[in-house]
Amino acid sequence: MIAFINVLVNGLLLGGIYAITAMGLSLQYGVARILNIAHGEFIMVGAFLTFVLHTKLGINPLFGLAVAGPALFVVGYLIQRILFKTLKDRTPTPAAFEGSSMLMAFGILFMVQSIAIFIWGTNVQGYSYLAYSVYLGDIRFSVNRLVILVISVLICLLFYLFLTRTRAGKAIRAASQDPDAAGLMGVDINKMLALCFAFGAMMAGFAGMLISMVFPIYTTMGMQYTIIAIIVVVLGGLGSIPGSLIGGFLLGIFGAIVSAKDPGLNMAAYYLLFMVLLLVKPSGLFGR
Amino acid sequence: MQILHVEGLTKYFGGLAAVSGVDLTVEKGEILGLIGPNGAGKTTLFNLISGTLVPNAGKVLFKGEKISGLKPYVVCRKGLVRTFQSCKIFPEMSVFQNVLLGALFGAPEKIAWKKAAEVAEEAIAFTGLSAFHDLPAGSLTLVNQKRVEVARALATKPELLMLDEMMAGLNPTEVGEAMELVKRIRDSGITIIMIEHVMKAIMNICGRIIVLDHGKKIAEGTPEEISTSKTVIEIYLGE
Repeated sequence: MIAFINVLVNGLLLGGIYAITAMGLSLQYGVARILNIAHGEFIMVGAFLTFVLHTKLGINPLFGLAVAGPALFVVGYLIQRILFKTLKDRTPTPAAFEGSSMLMAFGILFMVQSIAIFIWGTNVQGYSYLAYSVYLGDIRFSVNRLVILVISVLICLLFYLFLTRTRAGKAIRAASQDPDAAGLMGVDINKMLALCFAFGAMMAGFAGMLISMVFPIYTTMGMQYTIIAIIVVVLGGLGSIPGSLIGGFLLGIFGAIVSAKDPGLNMAAYYLLFMVLLLVKPSGLFGR
Repeated sequence: MQILHVEGLTKYFGGLAAVSGVDLTVEKGEILGLIGPNGAGKTTLFNLISGTLVPNAGKVLFKGEKISGLKPYVVCRKGLVRTFQSCKIFPEMSVFQNVLLGALFGAPEKIAWKKAAEVAEEAIAFTGLSAFHDLPAGSLTLVNQKRVEVARALATKPELLMLDEMMAGLNPTEVGEAMELVKRIRDSGITIIMIEHVMKAIMNICGRIIVLDHGKKIAEGTPEEISTSKTVIEIYLGE
């Protein structure tokens, strides 16, 4: 029983990272209509930024929140404005844009990954931060994972408030429901799409920073997280922020249970879940 | 006083001229009807005026200022707003949230949240939607969804409102109420252009009517002139 609770707690603690990862992708695909295959590369860059700042300059990894997130926000904004906006203007239909934007994202993936390999090599890296455990009765909590959970839930909460309470958030939600109508009601659609992509990249930066605190990092780690994000987005329903949050925790727990049996089966189990989901309920748990 | 002036407006889709060399002017305070068979280019003309489409030739002047080529959100903030033939409301937002969006983003100048909420409440009361205030807009009946669109458009504080088939799919009672609403909007000082297939409505409330066919303006005049015009009868009834 205790063993099982430990597994459950572990899953919950990881779920936060998954939720943030998925929220970023959900914004980029659900609103900006860009299936950003390079999402995981942004996560990798966020992780390495945090790693370099911590190991080379001795800066607290949590400070990565103030560095990795905003840095990737700017990069995301520029990428949308310069690359995807140009592409959108040149593609005749929204459907064609979805296809070509994914191909462009593949290009970005390879470029970012190659540059990262050029700078940081291919070795597995890592650092240890708050790597000890506290006990509540017999249940073990590792402190860094607890910190991650708190931060990720906070980020989700803040972002949810941003979407529901602010002017820009309202415009983003309108743009996600009907971009044409939003435009004709006075919403600057191109700006909102760029903002969404930028927020997505910022989430990737946050996720990367959190991941670097508990997992080894390497320059080719991106795809794994892109896949996880896609699975969580499908699980929770496209474009639904609460869906991403709950979906992230569900996948975290599911992953922890599988890992307890055999960590090697983790990704295989995720793919299996993904396939079943697509067959049984492709709109996701909270999808429209 | 002219509020809208359109000159030689032309739009090609592939080789087909959807709108070709259309001239029209709209006087402040009037209700102008736009009719024509399906595919005549009425909605395309709306899209060109509201900035959704960029014309191949010709220009649109709003209050004497050239607006063709501007982005839709800029056109909206200048005081020209439209509704859609197929309801384009935000289905998951409440009626109030839908209308608030228009008030927040469509206003000519940046508006405080509280003021925007007041404007939205006003528009909701004006269109008779108070009972549905907090319901998701997607759960309303067609006639009420159309009213949400009108309320949202009114909340942007327009000077010119373009209604695209507001009465399509409504029953006779609802058409009567919609006509009443259009007149009240005009009386509140907003100029209106409306595309409509419901002839009773057009003939009753429009001061002037323009007929489009195959992208060209083929007739223009008072309801009496249009209903007795030989060309118009030929187009509608064939020969």
